[in-house]
Amino acid sequence: MSFIPGQPVTAVVQRIEIRKLRQGEHLILGFSIGGGIDQDPGQNPFSEDKSDKGIYVTRVTPEGPAEVAGLMMGDKVMQVNGWDMTMVTHDQARKRLTKKNEDVVRLLVTRKSLEQAVRHSMM
Amino acid sequence: MASMNTSKDQRDSDIQKKIDHEIRMRDGACKLLAACSQRDQALEASKSLLTCNTRIMAYMSELQRMKEAQVMQRVALRSSVAGPTDDRLPCKGKVAISDLRIPLMWKDTEYFKNKGELHRCAVFCLLQVGAEIHDTDMVMVDRTLTDICFDNTIVFSETSPGFELRVELYSCCSEEDYSSGSTPRKLASKLSSSLGRSAGKKLRVAMDPGACSPISNGGGATLLLPLPSVVGPKYHLLAHTTLSLSHVQDSFRTHDLNISGNEDCSYWVPLYGSVCCRLAAQPHCMTQQMMSGCLKVKQLGGDLQSWTNIYGVLKGTNLFCYHRQEDMEANVEPVFTIAINKKTIIGVSEKDLHSKAQSICISNHYGGEEVTHTLSADSREDTHRWMEAFWQQFYDMSQWKQCCDDLMKIELPSPRKPALVASKQGSLYHEMVIDTSDDINTVTNILTRRMQELELRNQLGTSPHWMSLFEESPGRPHTRHCLPHSPLRCPWPGLLSSDASLTSDSDSPCSTSPCSRHSGWAKPLSLSSPSSRFRPRTLSLDAKLSTLRGRGYGGVLQCSCQPPSSSSLAPIPAQGVPQATLSCSSSTSSNSSSEGSHSPELSDGTSFSRPSSARRSLRNLRAKLDPRNWLQSQV
Repeated sequence: MSFIPGQPVTAVVQRIEIRKLRQGEHLILGFSIGGGIDQDPGQNPFSEDKSDKGIYVTRVTPEGPAEVAGLMMGDKVMQVNGWDMTMVTHDQARKRLTKKNEDVVRLLVTRKSLEQAVRHSMM
Repeated sequence: MASMNTSKDQRDSDIQKKIDHEIRMRDGACKLLAACSQRDQALEASKSLLTCNTRIMAYMSELQRMKEAQVMQRVALRSSVAGPTDDRLPCKGKVAISDLRIPLMWKDTEYFKNKGELHRCAVFCLLQVGAEIHDTDMVMVDRTLTDICFDNTIVFSETSPGFELRVELYSCCSEEDYSSGSTPRKLASKLSSSLGRSAGKKLRVAMDPGACSPISNGGGATLLLPLPSVVGPKYHLLAHTTLSLSHVQDSFRTHDLNISGNEDCSYWVPLYGSVCCRLAAQPHCMTQQMMSGCLKVKQLGGDLQSWTNIYGVLKGTNLFCYHRQEDMEANVEPVFTIAINKKTIIGVSEKDLHSKAQSICISNHYGGEEVTHTLSADSREDTHRWMEAFWQQFYDMSQWKQCCDDLMKIELPSPRKPALVASKQGSLYHEMVIDTSDDINTVTNILTRRMQELELRNQLGTSPHWMSLFEESPGRPHTRHCLPHSPLRCPWPGLLSSDASLTSDSDSPCSTSPCSRHSGWAKPLSLSSPSSRFRPRTLSLDAKLSTLRGRGYGGVLQCSCQPPSSSSLAPIPAQGVPQATLSCSSSTSSNSSSEGSHSPELSDGTSFSRPSSARRSLRNLRAKLDPRNWLQSQV
């Protein structure tokens, strides 16, 4: 998942489909995000590369829709419903996840273990 | 012979005087360096010291050269190698270098990272032609600068066409602790000062490869030039290049630099590797009258007997022919002009029966035609002198090459130094920058100032009527409409009963305030239908504004209330305030409770409840806006 300037970013991703849960007047997904191009990447405890300004999952509410769908803490969100999340501000990321008219969000996430799994399977 | 000697002695004494002058300047600079406390003063003094030293070296070498030349001449005369030395010397000229610009190449990491202080270097250029040395002003370089620009125009008079203009860039690190690059020198100076003056000096001279060796002058006394132990900033050569006649052009040109030093040196400045400048030359043959006198001119093809008496002036690429000498002095236009340039052909015609002397023929191509003028001087000596002048002119043009095509302009540097000197040299980037992480602060600073102006205006009694909203007694119980454990917030109900119409805020000078007032706490600012009147704002800015507003008006006013079905909120639409509806309506699902720390555990028991106290929200919002934190949002 390292970023080399000028090179396209490649990663092994997993598709995660989260159905939003309606709670009163809110639609919730059940996880927290951190990061963004306007945030200090050095404080991200989940990123391998401390200059990575991507959006990471910092907490997953137990029994929430995200956990049920398979999202894990430390995942980096690459796309949400087709919208890129690698070069967005924190607020933009939040907005893309919390659109009122969407019941389902399809995320593309990546995590270190995925890459390792692929590598192992290829060996 | 005798006169030659005296002229040489004259030159000797001239140079000696210059050397003495420079030595005095150097002593002064040393004293200043030892005495001054300010960093800038020290840098300037060190620069003068370096310039003086270089000048002394140059004059010394010049003196040496002259001695050697004298000796050679005496030898030549003694061996009686006589004979006309047909070495024609080209005329001298003025060479000017101006608008020096050296581009820099900072690494992007260095440019954008915000690590405390800037690493600064002081730089200046030394320009040398022969024994004439000039220095430019000193420029402070830091990573906000994209180019090093020297505004000075430096003119070297009396240079020959074979000149070599050496450009040297010196730099010195401008930080207190510059021990990394100069330890040996410091050690040397310490040694020299602790071993005793003479012993130390000897040691220093021995250790220092650049020290001067004793040079004898014409008087016979040896002149020892020890390098005084310098305590203070020391400049190092960073880059150099040599320019010559081939680089002279009437426009800007880029030349390569030879860079000495590398990244590890303390005085390193990342140079792009080239220098741009305008190098112009004005040979004397273009600017001065090389020959003048009375002539008779006749145009070939015309009447054989019609000679015209004119006063001719040979200057530049033309022979100007005036009626009389007084006309030339009065700046009257010449009668006609004969071009004397590279394409002109001049010849001496056969002795005419009617004239006393040979005549000179000048032929040029004008358009497609060949035009020939015949000149005749009064006497043979005059003819000879004119021919000599023409030959000299041709020779000069061949030596100065492109400088003789057209006269290049040289702007003399204005004697008056600009009064205001920027305390910090900066490029446009430096002036324009609004640090992205500080964007909120910058904007809110501006707004704070505006609000202060408004308050001032308030005191003067000309407050806009919406201000009355905020003047409602802050003591009014705001918990009246508060309902606990509600996830929603809404603006202060006092708003609802106010008569003030918020539609009038469009003519208020601070149009942001009313908007902020509403959107402040009804946070999840992804307002689904923002008013077109107000520009859409990010969550953080609005929250920050409301924080300011809250602070300014005695605390945070916030309450939670039921969704729009509540009767207390019904009058809102009637007031024609779109904002309130939005904020109290079922807001977006993204009701993020932001936490400013890494351990984002919610205090409440239920997983999805929201903190309901005003204090915590305020703290949360403040934390949210602090760029030092790494924000997390619950979705």
